Amino acid sequence: MKPGRYFGERVLRLEDARLLTGRALFVDDVQLPGMLHAALLRSDEAHARIRSIDASAARSRRGIVAVYTAADLGAYWRPGPLLVPPPPISGLVFNTATQVPLARDKVRHAGEPLALVVAESRYLAEDALEDIVVDLEPLPAVTDLEAALLEGASLVHEQFGSNLAAHVHQHKGDYAVARAAAHAVIARRFHYDRGAAAAIENRGVVAQWDARAEELTLWDTTQAPIPIRNGLAALLGLRESQVRVIAPFIGGGFGPKIMMYYPEEVLLPWAAMRLGRPVKWIEDRRENFYATTQERGQVHDAELAVSKDGKILGVRDRFLHDTGAYDPYGLTVPINSQCTLLGPYVVPNYDSEFTAVFTNKPIVTPVRGAGRQHGVFVMERLLDFAARELGIDRVEIRRRNYIQPDAFPYDHEILFQDFRPLVYDSGNYPAALEQAVELIGYDSFVRQEQPRLRREGKHVGLGIVSYIEGTGIGPYEGARVTIEPSGSVRLATGVGTQGQGHFTTFAQIVAEVLGVEVDQVQVSTGDTREFTWGTGTFASRGAVVAGSACHAAALKVREKVLALAGPLLGVAAGELVLHGGRVQSSNLPDKGISLGELARKANPLRGAVTPGTEPGLEATAYFGPDRGNAASGVHAMIVEVDAETAAVTIKRYVVVHDCGTIINPMVVEAQVQGGVAHGIGNAFFEQLSFDENGQLRNASFMDYLLPTALDVPTVEMAHIETPSPLNPLGTKGVGEAGAIPTGAAFAQAVEDALAGSGVELTEIPLSPNRLFELLEAAKARGAA
Amino acid sequence: MKPAAFEYHRPASLDEALALLAEHEDAKPLAGGQSLIPAMNFRLAAPAALIDLNGIGALARTGGMDDGGLQLGAMTRHCTLERSPLVAERAPLLAEAMPCIAHPQIRNRGTVGGSLAHADPAAELPAVMVALEATLVLRSASAERRVPAEQFFTGLFATALEPGELLTSIELPPPPARSGFAFQELARRHGDYALVGVAAMLTLNEAGQCSRARVALLSVGDGPVLAVRAAAALAGQPPSASSILAAAELAAREDVDPPSDIHASAAYRRQLVRVLTRRALTRAAGRVRPSSSIPT
Amino acid sequence: MIVEGTYPLPGTPVVIWDLLMDPEVLAKAMPGTKLLVRAAADRYEGVMRIGIGPITAAEFELVIALTDVLPPYSYAMQIDGKGRAGFTRGTAKVELVPEGAGSVMHYSADLQVGGKIAAVGQRLLDSVSKLLTRQGLEALNRELNHRLGGAPA
Repeated sequence: MKPGRYFGERVLRLEDARLLTGRALFVDDVQLPGMLHAALLRSDEAHARIRSIDASAARSRRGIVAVYTAADLGAYWRPGPLLVPPPPISGLVFNTATQVPLARDKVRHAGEPLALVVAESRYLAEDALEDIVVDLEPLPAVTDLEAALLEGASLVHEQFGSNLAAHVHQHKGDYAVARAAAHAVIARRFHYDRGAAAAIENRGVVAQWDARAEELTLWDTTQAPIPIRNGLAALLGLRESQVRVIAPFIGGGFGPKIMMYYPEEVLLPWAAMRLGRPVKWIEDRRENFYATTQERGQVHDAELAVSKDGKILGVRDRFLHDTGAYDPYGLTVPINSQCTLLGPYVVPNYDSEFTAVFTNKPIVTPVRGAGRQHGVFVMERLLDFAARELGIDRVEIRRRNYIQPDAFPYDHEILFQDFRPLVYDSGNYPAALEQAVELIGYDSFVRQEQPRLRREGKHVGLGIVSYIEGTGIGPYEGARVTIEPSGSVRLATGVGTQGQGHFTTFAQIVAEVLGVEVDQVQVSTGDTREFTWGTGTFASRGAVVAGSACHAAALKVREKVLALAGPLLGVAAGELVLHGGRVQSSNLPDKGISLGELARKANPLRGAVTPGTEPGLEATAYFGPDRGNAASGVHAMIVEVDAETAAVTIKRYVVVHDCGTIINPMVVEAQVQGGVAHGIGNAFFEQLSFDENGQLRNASFMDYLLPTALDVPTVEMAHIETPSPLNPLGTKGVGEAGAIPTGAAFAQAVEDALAGSGVELTEIPLSPNRLFELLEAAKARGAA
Repeated sequence: MKPAAFEYHRPASLDEALALLAEHEDAKPLAGGQSLIPAMNFRLAAPAALIDLNGIGALARTGGMDDGGLQLGAMTRHCTLERSPLVAERAPLLAEAMPCIAHPQIRNRGTVGGSLAHADPAAELPAVMVALEATLVLRSASAERRVPAEQFFTGLFATALEPGELLTSIELPPPPARSGFAFQELARRHGDYALVGVAAMLTLNEAGQCSRARVALLSVGDGPVLAVRAAAALAGQPPSASSILAAAELAAREDVDPPSDIHASAAYRRQLVRVLTRRALTRAAGRVRPSSSIPT
Repeated sequence: MIVEGTYPLPGTPVVIWDLLMDPEVLAKAMPGTKLLVRAAADRYEGVMRIGIGPITAAEFELVIALTDVLPPYSYAMQIDGKGRAGFTRGTAKVELVPEGAGSVMHYSADLQVGGKIAAVGQRLLDSVSKLLTRQGLEALNRELNHRLGGAPA
């Protein structure tokens, strides 16, 4: 789609006035007559057998309406479905173990729910939690990935006989041959850890059963209202049409809110139907650290075989992935790591093997980046070490290995998370690198500023890294466009919105096609009553897939407009234009009719209609891409390290980004800025600190450190647009890009600042405390 | 994260507040609430009653004293002290520390008395009051007593306050002639608990020799820690780069036995004591004005 | 969490030993103990309430089981404390070594801390455990002195 009046323009967001003046509905704003409040009793133990749960004292407390344990759920109790089955990779091993609504027999991670209390207020419900007597027999917890796989380790799921959740081996070419022919082999062990999504709004559910209408309404902070509706209807023995799920305005998703079915999503409707009163549950921040999924760490033993001039001959990677206590989300995260490691480079031989491990910690599912970070870190660091060893400039070694702009579509010959072959559709990696090099002032920094500052005793460093982000995967999304008699346009789609600007970007697409003012397009997302087919907002696919569906639906309505207006106005369709909310002759603009009036005419109360036509000006369309596309970019940053305190300050941050055709540059820039903030958090501030007993030691923002606006620089951005041939808009996803290569850039930059100290950074996150430790260790080794 | 039930009282006068405190054994005074309320929300604290001091205007009065010092009412908000020209003039060390306390929102509610009575080992104000040799005024229903800051902090979250007593005001002596000050801390993010902090006051005699050095450290022990060996190393000579270096080294090696937590190991804290003490003393020495009586 | 150290006590091991086995004396060594009874020859049960700074509502049900009892010199303990604020669990070893007219207690404990206090109190755990240990030993010392020499407890 080509840029026009709105498409490609910096349109101010249509939803912001409501959001900023408190007029947007969030789940906690839902107040219903007779509404009850729920709280969950969560296990303090990370691994234990449940001997007994006695809720009698809790039940007899004033204001407590009900207390439920697993036993009370009866036949309703069952493990959740496997959401993402493993891809069809030969030899793949996968052990399915999904989460349960309330723990029965065993708890497998700290925070796993043991009981549901429903009361007149959340205060009273929390009082009652203290009355419930739980007898747990603690079991040894598994937390270390290597120790978990040893013979005799405590088992998270006894039925598997081990803590192996999955084993996957993908390869192409012959790495052993490549290695034998290599001039150098760079081998390292890498640790990459991530953290909680920490959305500003925690999760929440309100369930209301209308016994007369026989309808269930659920307000849920979910990124996937339609699958939630379908699954819950089946679980509760209702028809899909009896269940309405509303995902209203949501304060950030980032991945964990697409996980389903959370215990609370399954328990609240069941309780509401039994009690005949609406029930609300709002997660508090401490719960969020256990009860909402997160991403965590991987350990990689990787090696890079290179030629004398730095060309990649092959990569071999063996890694362990922490999946937590259950694996309902399949292998999305580690497969992303496996695939994204290849990056924008030609890798003729690749041998990648991973083992996903069960641990007694909360469930791991995708968080902004979804495992891509880990792969990017490994490859970028290996290239940095290779560059140093071979005496090649780190920008030059990347240049030498890029897939060239004329090599698309480029097939990497392994399988991606969407079960399709990993084929890159378009890109221009050398151009992005050159732009980033120029923006950050690479040459003058390396040759002049850095040496000068070093002489003054200042330790500054630069990091520059490259990455690919697979986005816009299927299966599909849909949209319905309706021109109303008032002239305003209604757009409904099944995806939800957690701040991505869908109310604006989708309106831009439709407004462009129909020639109306962008603020005439009213967008509805996330309400299953409005639109009933779709999957959800995840994997940076909203603009690509739902946007393309909006485009297709708008085109169909445009066709209907032309077909109806032509005969009405006596003008040939080819001479009609849609402009300013009207359809009119391009030669004689007065010969026209407003779209609203046309819509009225399209819905007559009397007279005959042409057979084979439909009333109104409305159309529904679906879009499913053949496969995901490849967004890409280069990040560059300059840091200063205080060598005495190991404190790190980020001086500049540059992003050159390619997300194909841009719908709204402001939205893209905001996504990148936010992603970078998230990436800086993961690289330098955030770490879920679990001890060896599976206890989380920082379940609050006092100790789980999120970067604030004062800790994150304003990102300097440039864009490259290589349109995607895989969708009519030519667009690619952008939601996660900012967060993906930050760790790699950070490690390179800090290492550069500390050059000469003997410190090599092969782990993320870093903190001043950890840097100090590494510096001292290097000194002790006499490495400096 | 909802608190357990509690009784709420809002006395209109100090006497009424003291009477209520004496009457309710399990009562906590409520000042800014910035530490107490989160603890109650976590249900780690569950006092049977809260005695809200925010209605007692007399406790919030702050002003100059005739001897050139300052009297701070215990209920004075952090933001008031932060913006006060009188504080900037008569207690510049305090003024320099104020912006390091948490975030502006917290400083809008938090009070100087609340912070001192809470005695968090990572708090800035206890160390500043020890460095400034402040006097704390404590009152019960029957008596009033005055305790030097150095004796007020008795252990981890422990103060000299007896049951039934309230901290009502803090008295700061006038700034000594030929003094320099500096407050320095290192935190992971703006507004975080400091990993280590230093409040330093140097006073020189007419010969330019250091006659008094007060170096109070925070976040290195159970409460504010006076670095006595460091101070002793500075005494009797003009402050110099080498004497400051030596003092900082003593502070790190001998004056502290810091704890470890997930943010900083004991070894890293020692390093920060070494570096921040040196930087603070250097700045303090550089700020001494030889002839005027008010340090800048 | 490892807590270890030594502490001089006013009496020979034989004298101290019997007193240490007395639940009333042992309770003094655990600040905030509201109740401690000897439920069996090798088992103590009780209730302990911690009150330090912001944490004033942390009450624990305690079970201490004695093992490897070698009177009058050493024993080991299995400690299990559970409450709304979290739990603590682990082992401790106590050894009494004669020194002059008295003894030196060598203690070491390896304790797991979990639940709410571990999740939001991490900043203070190290300091709090050192404080409780110190308070406990000082209180134990005072109690022993009182029982042995008539000095005020």
